[in-house]
Amino acid sequence: MPPPPTLSKDEYKRYGRQMIVPSIGLPGQLQLKDAAVLIVGAGGLGCPAAAYLAGTGVGILGICDGDVVETSNLHRQIAHTTSRVGQSKTQSMTEYLTDINPHITYRSHTYHLTPGTAASTLGHYNLVLDCTDHPAVRYLISDTCVLLGKPLISASALRTEGQLLVLNNPPGKGACYRCIWPKPPPPESVLSCGEGGILGPVVGVMGVLMATEAIKLLTAQAKDNKLSGEVVEEENKRPIRTNMLLYSAYLNPSFRDLKLRGQKKGCIACDLEKREISLDKLSDGRLDYAAFCGTRKEDRVGEDERIEVGRYAEVRNQEHLLIDVRPEVEWGICNLAGAINIPIGQFMQSLPLPTPTEPLIGAVSLPSPPPPSWLPENHKTPIYIVCKRGNDSQVAVRHLKTYLASRQNGDGKVGGGIWDIKGGLVKWAWDVDASFPEY
Amino acid sequence: MSTFTILYFAACSSYTSRLYEALPAPLPISKLYSVLEEKYAGITEKVLGSCLVTVNLEYVDITGGDGHDMIQGEVVIQPGDEVAIIPPVSSG
Repeated sequence: MPPPPTLSKDEYKRYGRQMIVPSIGLPGQLQLKDAAVLIVGAGGLGCPAAAYLAGTGVGILGICDGDVVETSNLHRQIAHTTSRVGQSKTQSMTEYLTDINPHITYRSHTYHLTPGTAASTLGHYNLVLDCTDHPAVRYLISDTCVLLGKPLISASALRTEGQLLVLNNPPGKGACYRCIWPKPPPPESVLSCGEGGILGPVVGVMGVLMATEAIKLLTAQAKDNKLSGEVVEEENKRPIRTNMLLYSAYLNPSFRDLKLRGQKKGCIACDLEKREISLDKLSDGRLDYAAFCGTRKEDRVGEDERIEVGRYAEVRNQEHLLIDVRPEVEWGICNLAGAINIPIGQFMQSLPLPTPTEPLIGAVSLPSPPPPSWLPENHKTPIYIVCKRGNDSQVAVRHLKTYLASRQNGDGKVGGGIWDIKGGLVKWAWDVDASFPEY
Repeated sequence: MSTFTILYFAACSSYTSRLYEALPAPLPISKLYSVLEEKYAGITEKVLGSCLVTVNLEYVDITGGDGHDMIQGEVVIQPGDEVAIIPPVSSG
């Protein structure tokens, strides 16, 4: 057993303002110094969470992330700076944290957590903060915490909303991520911050709340043996229920504290009779988290249906129709002259496909609705479809072709062809017009 | 007409294009998803399947069959209740 920690003179001064808070005191401060906390993900959640945990004086702070700092991170990832773009996030964050508090041992894990590395990485720590950005890694972290008996603080944020959960607390008794979300979201509905957008202070507030929960959890044990973050109802031995804090910046009220269930019967991680996970299965790759969460259906078109941005630039002066299928808000940021904006959802809706499975009422075939007004009457007009990166545009090309093929009366031919602009507007900015904004 | 408020979060608010709305009450919880499916075709498969549901800030078991013993009998959403549909959010 290592000797219990003591505080240096500088540390008394540094932590004085929080030590005089009755729920902390000197015992709480020593518990913090005795703790090793791992932050997985040095992004929008991890930056503020790490900043406050460094400030508060935890003994060891581990940072796990395999990414490098990008300019598009800086509006929210407050540990990173313009001068550190291109550096690894772990290095950038350690630099930032060391400046806040040099008394802490910082450990960098400069890689993305995988089933093969999860147990050995998490094993060194008392508490884990899930600040990651994908369902697969969230299930991986939760399973590993259950198997290793570590409490887990999990938060997430997108656009103007955030969710906060304290899981596996106390270990083996509190609900895990699978208990709360037994079924992963359909892959098509999963948006990253890069796709869906994120307001900096929204993800920031969630990260700060994670740090608060971490401090509560780490300093709770010795005080009165009551763990924070959950309703512990020891008196009547009712199951431990987990709370979720929900933040929605544009709703009134904007914070909601939801009472969720406790451990789920039949949970393949928590229910010992139904458990399907183990450290062995984890390390030898038998638990396939990517397959469990699924991958997006690729609706790709053939290379002969695509056009390079450079080639499109050459034919721009000829008669054609350019359809931009990005959301209206992105169209408003920048667009190509002469294009029309039909967001992908609207685009699909305006081109209904016949549903042969539906029985026809009275066996009378209804006339198909007229084609949308934007579809060129001159069938020789080529149609080009563009989006940000060239994914939705392929979906749109495929759908439009299917739609036209389904029209019986021959108005379905587009002699000039329907083309996907390869790589989208990002590629346009790289290869053709350097002044075109990348966002 | 008596109504309850339904709040749509994350992917659910994207799918319905709204943050909240009023729906007729009372409504047995087991009918909730079919009411939503009628209003927003495809929502069950694309969003609701992985969501959790709360009524007045408390979790309710929408499937009715996962062996959880916290909810006795079927919950009926009452006028004035606040229902929330919460999909998992994984980004951060």
